[in-house]
Amino acid sequence: MRLLHDANDQLRRLLAPCLQLARAFREWYLRPSRREQRGLELLREWLSQEQLAQYDAHKYFEVIGCYTGKRYRICHGIGGNVIELDDAALPKTGWCFVPSDHLVAGDVMLVQKIALETDERGALAAANNFTPR
Amino acid sequence: MATQIIMDLNGDTRHNFDAKDVKALSEAERRFKALTGAGFTAATRIASGEPIVTRTFDPTVEETLFFPRLVGG
Repeated sequence: MRLLHDANDQLRRLLAPCLQLARAFREWYLRPSRREQRGLELLREWLSQEQLAQYDAHKYFEVIGCYTGKRYRICHGIGGNVIELDDAALPKTGWCFVPSDHLVAGDVMLVQKIALETDERGALAAANNFTPR
Repeated sequence: MATQIIMDLNGDTRHNFDAKDVKALSEAERRFKALTGAGFTAATRIASGEPIVTRTFDPTVEETLFFPRLVGG
């Protein structure tokens, strides 16, 4: 029993650096690229304080449509990430509209925010809708 | 120093210019017209931070953001 316990300890000591290395590699691999970081920095500059706090806490922020006053939730993503909320703040309709060029997530979310806050009808006219999960 | 920010594949490209420099201002206006003519939307922020879309070049604006037209995803 003692022998088994010692072997277990030794194995843990051997594996600890490997686990640390694996974690470091995972963090490096999943890190946002420079262009993604730039997009997120730009988004953060343009979000209101309330939206920024929401985004930091939940990875989404909410905007009010300029024509209808409806509330939309923009989740972190590059498509299919805009959800219209009902009066109880529950998902009602999903809206998919994106910039015509391939942009990083921060840029896409910023474009969606500006579109809904300044030209809600134009944004929804271009959008496809879907039933949110 | 005023800035024009163009969203692109690199995240964004920024053009800084001195609005008091006639040549730089003319170049900024030319860039504004070229981008909006190509379908980009120009947006600025009012004092409260809310975005507004602008259709004409305003030499007094500190920061203008250009993004490509929207399409259904």
